[in-house]
Amino acid sequence: MSAGPAPRPLLEASAIHRHFEGLRAVDGVSIDVLPGRVTGLIGPNGAGKSTFLAVLAGTLPASAGSIVFDGEDITSLPPYQRARRGLVRTFQLPSEFARLTVLENLLVAAPGNRGDSLIGALRGRRYWIGDERRLVERARGLLARLGMAAKESDYAGTLSGGQKRLVEIMRALMLQPRLLLLDEPMAGVHPAIVGEIAAYLEALRDEGITILMVEHELQVVDRLCDPVVVMAQGRVIGRGDMAALRQQPEIVDAYLVG
Amino acid sequence: MTYYLTTLAVYAGVDMIACLALSLQFGTSGIVNFSFIVFQAAGAYTAAVLSLPPDTANGGFQQYILGLEAPFPLPWIGGAVVGGLLALPVGLVVLRRLRSDYQAIAMLVLTVIANTVITNARPFLNGAAGLSLVPAPLAAQLDTGAVGYQYLYVAITAACVVLVFLIAQRIVDSPYGRTLRAMREHEVAAGALGKHVVALKMTIFVVGGVIAGLSGAILVGFIGLWAPATWLYPETIVLFAALIVGGRGNNVGAILGAVLVPIGFFEATRFIPPFGPPGLIPALEWVAIGSLIIGFLWWRPAGVLPEPRHVFPPTSPLGTIPARGRR
Repeated sequence: MSAGPAPRPLLEASAIHRHFEGLRAVDGVSIDVLPGRVTGLIGPNGAGKSTFLAVLAGTLPASAGSIVFDGEDITSLPPYQRARRGLVRTFQLPSEFARLTVLENLLVAAPGNRGDSLIGALRGRRYWIGDERRLVERARGLLARLGMAAKESDYAGTLSGGQKRLVEIMRALMLQPRLLLLDEPMAGVHPAIVGEIAAYLEALRDEGITILMVEHELQVVDRLCDPVVVMAQGRVIGRGDMAALRQQPEIVDAYLVG
Repeated sequence: MTYYLTTLAVYAGVDMIACLALSLQFGTSGIVNFSFIVFQAAGAYTAAVLSLPPDTANGGFQQYILGLEAPFPLPWIGGAVVGGLLALPVGLVVLRRLRSDYQAIAMLVLTVIANTVITNARPFLNGAAGLSLVPAPLAAQLDTGAVGYQYLYVAITAACVVLVFLIAQRIVDSPYGRTLRAMREHEVAAGALGKHVVALKMTIFVVGGVIAGLSGAILVGFIGLWAPATWLYPETIVLFAALIVGGRGNNVGAILGAVLVPIGFFEATRFIPPFGPPGLIPALEWVAIGSLIIGFLWWRPAGVLPEPRHVFPPTSPLGTIPARGRR
């Protein structure tokens, strides 16, 4: 755990349980997410990684346990309030807004637009166009950085799997998150783009964004994640850096056999 | 002939207003409001009992609550308010917990329940016979039988259509409208991005309820009667058909759909010479409406005028310029 001189964790999840009618999908998981790091969450299919992530984001309520984000207990907050505090997740399955354009996918996520309320909308374009311009500029900056500028007016539903991933990550970034929860960001992504996304996540980390990611691609985990938490059957069975974890036969077994 | 045309114009206006409201709910926000007609009926009944004299009038041949003889435009405002108020409890029950397909079923059932209750609870709104002799707006001041009054009514209705269109347009073209569309596309993802999905749905449900109530008030003021038989659940289906044909999520499409389906289609079938056993033509109308919905969903799901794609100008982003959307 966060012993010694380590900074205060950004997120502390303690003894999280999530049961589905007797199935203990998450069975007493505790982790600390340290600021400025990419924490990896690995384990075989059915280990409860995605469920755990969903509990952290509030998509699923916890059956038991507590979640403290930046000193505040957020265990009972609904997902939208967690997002507004800077805890933003992506999804394992593509979750783009299919019939919104790529640029709109980004814009919709941005908080602080005066036109994003009924009253604001009814007051007319002049009331909110300033905010809109500012956010369009920011969204275009993100798109340019990831080589998606040419796609801004395409419907997000028409993109490839990898491009959708990028859109979802950029969309989350429009909220200026403090902790990004990524659920298998490389799933279904063409290998050529995996490196690109990884480099981008690295850059985000270097800019100070804290990330907790579930990932199966061990090369990606090797490159990005420190520390790594290994889950199996709803429990944490190991944690540390990848090199150390590879030395532990029971972890290698669980991961390969699972 | 003038009377026929003005009647048609008022009906068209009422359908346009209703379609705009339903487009906000269904087209933009993805709320499958199969109980839409209930909100129109609530507005109509409210406007009726606000403008009628106490039910002891006319020999007491009908029973109803209120009977306030309120002057125009209070009955219309009342109708709109009650349409919105009714949306609160319905929305809180239906929109918070249920998944969207179950929401649709719940709303359909709600229509049937509401209709049955009103039909059988006579002292409330005169039961199955409905309310008649509803005074037209400004009946005390103007000669409501004159042709001029007909034109006036059309003009007031048209003004309401324009007002509702502008409101709907401001919502759809705004960042708020974009948030509603995002919710429609992926509710969970919208929630994960900080959108309060239940609040969004409730708000647009109430906005739609207000507009639906207004449409009912306009209609009852013109035709002077309102009974359970005029707001059975298939009436909602007709409005859905109009949106699917016209183009949901596109306000011009909603107007076009209102002209094509409830007005154009039903008026055209009036001129079919009668054939077969009695009731065959109305029955065939429903078959045709059903086929229209299925046909469009199959071959042109976005409708005649699809939802516009919002494209942003390249250098100085002055706002969204809606271009014709592709499917």
